[in-house]
Amino acid sequence: MNIFVLNCGSSSLKYKLYAMENEKVLAEGKVERIGQDNAVITHQSTGKEKVSKTMPILEHTIAIQECLNLLTHSEHGVLKSVNEIDAVGHRVVHGGESFSDSVLINERTKEILDSLAELAPLHNPANVMGIRAAEKIMPKTPQVAVFDTAFHSTIPPHAHLYAVPYTIYQRYKVRRYGFHGTSHKYVSQRAAELMGRNIEDLKIISCHLGNGASITAIEGGKSIDTSMGFTPLEGLMMGTRSGNIDPGALFYIMRKEDLNLQQIDSMLNKHSGLLGIAGVSDMRDIEKGVEEDDKMCKMAFDMYEYRIRKYIGSYVAAMNGVDAIVFTAGIGENTPALRTRLISKLPYLGITIDEEKNKLRGQDVEISTPDSRVKVFVIPTDEELVIARDTAEIVS
Amino acid sequence: MDIRRVAVLGAGRLGRGIAENAASKGYDVILFSHGAGGKEALARIEKSLDRKLAKWGITDAEKRLILNRIEYTQDLRELSKADLLVEATLDHLDVKYELLRTADQLCRRDVYFLSATSTLKVSDLAKEINRSDMLVGLHFIPPVPDVAVAELVRGVRTSDEAVEVAKAFAARLGKQVVEIEESQGLVNPRALVAMINEAAYLLDEGVCEAKDAELIFRESWGMKQGPLEMADRLGLDLVLNWMEQLQMVFGPRYAPCPLLRRYVRQGRLGVKSRLGFLAYTEDDAVVTEDEGDKED
Repeated sequence: MNIFVLNCGSSSLKYKLYAMENEKVLAEGKVERIGQDNAVITHQSTGKEKVSKTMPILEHTIAIQECLNLLTHSEHGVLKSVNEIDAVGHRVVHGGESFSDSVLINERTKEILDSLAELAPLHNPANVMGIRAAEKIMPKTPQVAVFDTAFHSTIPPHAHLYAVPYTIYQRYKVRRYGFHGTSHKYVSQRAAELMGRNIEDLKIISCHLGNGASITAIEGGKSIDTSMGFTPLEGLMMGTRSGNIDPGALFYIMRKEDLNLQQIDSMLNKHSGLLGIAGVSDMRDIEKGVEEDDKMCKMAFDMYEYRIRKYIGSYVAAMNGVDAIVFTAGIGENTPALRTRLISKLPYLGITIDEEKNKLRGQDVEISTPDSRVKVFVIPTDEELVIARDTAEIVS
Repeated sequence: MDIRRVAVLGAGRLGRGIAENAASKGYDVILFSHGAGGKEALARIEKSLDRKLAKWGITDAEKRLILNRIEYTQDLRELSKADLLVEATLDHLDVKYELLRTADQLCRRDVYFLSATSTLKVSDLAKEINRSDMLVGLHFIPPVPDVAVAELVRGVRTSDEAVEVAKAFAARLGKQVVEIEESQGLVNPRALVAMINEAAYLLDEGVCEAKDAELIFRESWGMKQGPLEMADRLGLDLVLNWMEQLQMVFGPRYAPCPLLRRYVRQGRLGVKSRLGFLAYTEDDAVVTEDEGDKED
């Protein structure tokens, strides 16, 4: 069974084609600058040369058609015909309360997805645009939506409700939804596999630390709490996002600086986090600054690490223990110094790190020593594979 | 038709605002102006974006992207590249007619025209062009990027398709569109100039100082700016021009306050001359001292 996985943004898309018999990636690629005369398509079939071309691509239907042309290209492709694609799996950021699992797309699904645009205005409309475009080109191929929020649908009310008048939840469904669910699901399942244990017997804390960052408490394979909330702004300090802040401070800042809602929103989402403190948003630049003894980079690094540590502590409390901690995504996978610092501050958990293994990159690795009471893993995330698996399961 | 490049005629406050708003929503913009000072248009748009940057409303990368999408020109032939035309020049009948006739010749036949006129009738403007069914009145309210409403007017011959194009464009610019009957002065300009005129009378009669009138207006009705600051930002010459146009249509109730005429005669035009009802800094902020009240 061949599954085509699509992740559509407003002006870009990424795709992967999987052969599900062995979960092998047959081809992958991306299209950038959709809507412009100089859109760029990059495509690579496994074992073949990477190809790239620049051309006008004004909308997603054309972008997807171009990807399919490359997949069926005599020289660069891997398929004889588009009919060899058995199903399309779409990443959809927000499933709201309507979708607690991946779902086969039909007219009703699309209506609900349209109504969810308000909850994720930057992402959901683009995801739905991708669904409609793919349907137009492949009307007979089943389409499946896989939601970033679905994995967190198991978070119980005492953890997903905010302590504001309950009518706000009833009227507008304002609650914790959480994000990066597909990633947290993948790395926690993979950690259980690497431990050779049943995930239902494990307490896992997964740290997805990319430009956006979230941390999840997973008990018995189910998310029971996560740091992102109603929006991806809550929780950890991020590249340009503030994470947690006293809401009272916002009213004060808005008054003092005469800011409107758009400005405070932009300040918290685009001007804060590492960027707000150190002036750079990339953790590699922060690490360089730390090496050069830059005061603000050191401050940003300390703040970043401390906030993760606080969440780990609170999730240990929430689950009454932890068996494994997993690091994934750009910063989680590629910043050994952050992991070293973090773990060194958690002696009460009885974790010890193998510093040689901690330096390894690009592979699944247990970085704790064999006698460590809590296992620590670095696992490169693979959200597309989860989307492909869910899609295959639904259409089978 | 897929609209990607928008031509904006007129690089005054309204034209610049429309250009900035359209560019920030992803349109490529050709900003045209004949007038002296038009060349400063890009610098003034940059200044407007810098103010947003200073308030964290945009990022530096977004600022550069927006500016890169706007191309300033004094060459009308550039209009041939446009997919949509927005006319936002001063409401001088002859100038506007001439410009619209030229644009009608230069633009592709499938290009719709929007006019941001405040005091002229769309039906009258439409008589000057061949594509009279493709002209819609769409009045944006300055500061255009920040005001989330626009007034839409059909001329006698305006087609439903043209109205749909105008609505879609305004919606992408983040505006709620309110369709009103064709009437010179629309809703916002008519009400605004009446309020400005009354505020000017308060000063002229020595009832209060400008800053005090502003405070009362702002706090009473939850306004960001009172009518005097609004007038200064529009330009007192423009306000006077609107009033004179409306006076011709509606009679003496739009007769301009003598103080307004006096200020315009003195070249005291508002923000652009740093002094109007209030005084302004180089960054277009209101000077907090009392100089703005004192006549030279």
